[in-house]
Amino acid sequence: MLIRIALKQQTVGVIALALVVAIGGVLNTLAFVQIAGTTPAERAAFAQQMTLLGAQLSYMLPVPVRIDTLAGYLEWRWFGTLVVVFGIWAAISASGSGRGDEERGLVEQWLAAGVGRARYLITRVAVFAAIATVVIGAMQLSILLSADGEPLARGDLFAMGVNLLATTLCCYGIALVIAQLVTTRRAAGGIAAGLFIALFLINGAGRTANIGAARWLSPFYLFERSRPLTEGGALDPVGIGALLGAGAVLLAIGVVTFARRDLGGTALPGTRRESRGTRSPSRDPLLRLPVLGPLRQQRIWVAAWLVGFVALSASLISITRTIVDSLTSSEVPFMRAYFERAGLSVYDSFVGVIWLSTATLLLSVYAIIQVASWSADDGEGRLATILSAPVSHTRVILERLATLLVAVGLIAAASSVAVYMVAAGQGITLDGGRVALAATLLLTIPFAFGSIGQFVSASRPRIAVVALSTVAVFSYFVQQFVPLFGWPDWVANLSLYTLYGTPMSGDVKWAGVAGLVGIGIVATAASLVALRRRDVGA
Amino acid sequence: MTEAIETKGLTKDYGNGRGIFDLDLGIAEGEVFGFLGPNGAGKTTTIRLLMGLIHATRGSARIFGLDCDHDAVAVKRKVGYCPGELPQFGGWRGSEVVAYVAGLRGDVKDATITALAERLDLDLGRKYREYSHGNKQKLALILAFMHQPALVILDEPTTGLDPLVQQEFYGIVRDARTRGATMFISSHVLSEVEHVCDRVGIVREGHLATVSPLEDLVGMRAFRVEIDFADDVPVDRLKRVEELDQLVVTDHRATGLLRGTFEPLMAAVAGTRVIGFTSREPSLEEIFLTYYR
Repeated sequence: MLIRIALKQQTVGVIALALVVAIGGVLNTLAFVQIAGTTPAERAAFAQQMTLLGAQLSYMLPVPVRIDTLAGYLEWRWFGTLVVVFGIWAAISASGSGRGDEERGLVEQWLAAGVGRARYLITRVAVFAAIATVVIGAMQLSILLSADGEPLARGDLFAMGVNLLATTLCCYGIALVIAQLVTTRRAAGGIAAGLFIALFLINGAGRTANIGAARWLSPFYLFERSRPLTEGGALDPVGIGALLGAGAVLLAIGVVTFARRDLGGTALPGTRRESRGTRSPSRDPLLRLPVLGPLRQQRIWVAAWLVGFVALSASLISITRTIVDSLTSSEVPFMRAYFERAGLSVYDSFVGVIWLSTATLLLSVYAIIQVASWSADDGEGRLATILSAPVSHTRVILERLATLLVAVGLIAAASSVAVYMVAAGQGITLDGGRVALAATLLLTIPFAFGSIGQFVSASRPRIAVVALSTVAVFSYFVQQFVPLFGWPDWVANLSLYTLYGTPMSGDVKWAGVAGLVGIGIVATAASLVALRRRDVGA
Repeated sequence: MTEAIETKGLTKDYGNGRGIFDLDLGIAEGEVFGFLGPNGAGKTTTIRLLMGLIHATRGSARIFGLDCDHDAVAVKRKVGYCPGELPQFGGWRGSEVVAYVAGLRGDVKDATITALAERLDLDLGRKYREYSHGNKQKLALILAFMHQPALVILDEPTTGLDPLVQQEFYGIVRDARTRGATMFISSHVLSEVEHVCDRVGIVREGHLATVSPLEDLVGMRAFRVEIDFADDVPVDRLKRVEELDQLVVTDHRATGLLRGTFEPLMAAVAGTRVIGFTSREPSLEEIFLTYYR
């Protein structure tokens, strides 16, 4: 029964994830065949170029090995980033098992029905492990089917799957322990996701600098120690052992802590519920103002995003000079010409690309999270409370969007200032007006995503997050693969990220910007109609 | 005179007989109206239709002459609402929830909120997720009454409240009535509406069965009684008690539905050795089975 419930809760998300990673696997496999060429000479040239590029991108991706083969390419390009995606998935899922169901009162119901605490959590872990296995299996199958004669041993791919599964379970264990230390799902998921990004960056730093034993703290380092696709299926015994061992210990700690703590409470000693002991409403004037009221209640969340995004932007820009110098002094004429043609040989252009591509992705993630909370407003009765006041549906829709845009505006503005200052510190002079314009135009991304999400949330709140995430993943893949496959412009323009363009490295793509704004306006109007027509809470 | 609430053929059909059907109702200004029905009878659906939260399949609902659907914003300026299913505000403090909703309304005096919190003994400094069910219900009541609305719609408002707070709640209802407010209170407990209502509508399986003045409820007042005897049950004497229906005798136990006063029953069992006597209010479903078969 518990297994069935756990499976049912995750059905839509799991199907979506399985599809995304399967499609991603296929596209990366096909992309290799497309860009690496078919003759040994073409493959060798490709490997030389990618090895050089990979060395420059080692802060993000593993150092490439045997890049002239599909196995080496997938190990570097696909699995090197996929492991972070699975880590974030584990964080979301573990925070749901460890806190989300508790917040909704489901755990209380199950425990009251005679289910043991340990049994409940172990079942959830087992179901997650089973689902992860199926998702990874589906992806491997899709890769094998699309390999089109390229040498790729099944055993090697299986070993990579084992490595990925072990890392995912280790991340799940970390997130499960974190969930025992806080009292909300949002805090558990946010802290775990933030920690995984930090551990990913620690591993990246360890590739280029000596950071000592700190690298061992990162499950992504342990994952990377095994190179089964390029080393004949061999798994590093220390790496895989550490992952499985740490995962088992963390899961055990999570289960034991859950069994011992109070429901609704934290396992941390000394934390107690505080009350200010008042009969009066809050005197904070912001709470009573449109837009600022909801924003005030999200202040810690927004501040965390702002600080995190500023730090990420600064760290990306701090390595710009090194990367551009390496690229433009490339010993491979093709590479040098490629980057010069792309306008990436100039520092400020590169800053624009590296900063804005990251910003558009992260701000769309921010919009998706906001849409998730709008959908929850409906299901958890907050929307009904708001609409019980003399508040129109129009105000609800517009206030949500305005709150999203103000928050994103603050984050983008702080990030742009950080980029400008760090670049200046590196001796890179940026056009202040261009930076401000690019930061302002960034708002079009969350506006489009938020409006689409609002429309789905107003029509079918339960599928809003999955639908919007699909739009984001689709946009990302289209942007990535259009240049590789030479697809026409109209295909490229199906990606919201492509519509934004690269306003710091060339002319501003005003048609694309207008497209994003138009999508936002149309989706907002549709949201209004949908919210008015639908029964609240249905 | 404009009626506070007026519905004509109001219907929300969810299929399979679920929802509310052809509801014709008129509630005068200043009246306290009880809307009684068993679980799933259509009470909450009716209330959500009145609040404009869901849309009618057919028919109309008006509050103070305004259409509940098309004039929803204007309607809600005059209405306070306590939902049957409480919203979730997570980590918000009670003081923040009331301030936020007061900001949405714009016509709320802080002193009124404080007075209500005092009467209901609610600490607004606590986080919402730390509130017990009863405290969440108190907060919902504050949100419904804090702007002193002309009409208050309450969906099972005493759920989770302890008896002392229930009495305070009845006091708040009486005070609101004194200042002229109209009240629409849904409940599945007969005794609850007896405290405060002028008139009662009874709904069953989506249809309005009857609308009666409170006095008529007295005729419905009944108790499920259960008597344990040390010796044989005096069946003949019990059968002669006219007020006792549905008499069932098993071994040394007699059960039945008693309408009216207890005196005839007590007289019937006088002189026997009664070792156990319990009585409880019957469920509405039992009343329906008795009165509306």
